[in-house]
Amino acid sequence: MTARTPQYGPGTSVVAINRRKQMDPGHKLTVMRNITDEDIVLVLGHRAPGASFKTMHPPITEQQEPECPMRKLVVPTDGAKHGDRVRYVQFADSMFNAPCQPYQRTYAEMYRFRGIDPGTLSGRQIVECRERDLEQYCRLLIETEMFDPALVSLRGATVHGHSLRLSEDGMQFDALQRCVLGKDGMVRYVKDQIGLPLNRMVEVGKPLDHPWLKEHATIFHSLVGTPLRDDREYVEYLQRIHTLRTRYGFMPREA
Amino acid sequence: MNTITSYPQCRIVPMRLLGPDTTKRLLDRIVTVPGIRRILLNGQNIPLLVPYGPARGTLNTTNLRKTIEISGNTVDLHVQVGTITLEIEDPSVVGRVRAICDDFFVDFSCYVQEGRFMKTQPSLVDYAKYGPQADSSVIGLVDPRRKEKPAFIRPLGDRVCGGFEL
Repeated sequence: MTARTPQYGPGTSVVAINRRKQMDPGHKLTVMRNITDEDIVLVLGHRAPGASFKTMHPPITEQQEPECPMRKLVVPTDGAKHGDRVRYVQFADSMFNAPCQPYQRTYAEMYRFRGIDPGTLSGRQIVECRERDLEQYCRLLIETEMFDPALVSLRGATVHGHSLRLSEDGMQFDALQRCVLGKDGMVRYVKDQIGLPLNRMVEVGKPLDHPWLKEHATIFHSLVGTPLRDDREYVEYLQRIHTLRTRYGFMPREA
Repeated sequence: MNTITSYPQCRIVPMRLLGPDTTKRLLDRIVTVPGIRRILLNGQNIPLLVPYGPARGTLNTTNLRKTIEISGNTVDLHVQVGTITLEIEDPSVVGRVRAICDDFFVDFSCYVQEGRFMKTQPSLVDYAKYGPQADSSVIGLVDPRRKEKPAFIRPLGDRVCGGFEL
């Protein structure tokens, strides 16, 4: 018996290919920018830089674990091992060709990360996990091609903006203006994800140009990107799902 | 019934949301056009305080919420402007507004629509707020739940008001 090769998703368009790349844990995402550990801690706003991680239970090695084959089988994540508390990060992704989108983000994270609890909405996606793991996952989510400083932003609350026209400087609308585009073209966070001002600005790089964004988009957009109808395979897949769910509800059986 | 909307209207829709400085520069040009009765700025609200989350109630420091000066009159801008609706005296004004917009927007496009965009008659809330003898210049211009009044701009005259005081 040969090993199953996951397909991750249908489609022949560039959007479908990009979605598969992000979902495939074997695919190494391109690093577009570098951000320090301290900067991640500052933007998340859960603890002061340098402060120790708060715990919600003693380290697993110090606990009396019951005899359980599953516990032996599943290796705990670093955060779980230390008993870290659960914290969150939330991203808002613009529909104007942001390189990741909420549903896509959840799919990608479920394939790539362990011990996470994502919550997916139309314009934002929140993921909860142990604090130590969260900071590590955030690095991948911010440093790689899944992030664009202008069109993706970390927003713990007051997230509105994903479906709006962009601001005149090309930034996604943010009522709290957590990040600003400087005259040198750099985007800097001046507030943490919940809107509290930072003591110092956190630089997250320059916004990516439109051709790059179009080439790396994971959302179909008939005006500024790739139209869904151009991808026949995707449309066929969606129609099949729709038909099966309409006919059989949550028990899709094909004759 | 009130005839406040018997005048033609047009709406400027830029492809990007405008910041306060751009809005000021655009309005400075538009208010000089004769034949504009009322101007309505619509857009996304920029709250004074953080409205949700653990930081709720803290001051929202931003440069999107500003007091701008238009022809010597100050206007407190609470929104990031998305559309500008104009009530005009005759349809020929639309052409002049369109010419100004074509000249003004160079980095991104903008279109000028003709139609009805303001409230056609006083609503129940307007009636409750302003009564049967409501000032027709206010209806459709300001959310009746807000305390502020519209700014009164006299483009060619002296300074008349500060903020939203009529």
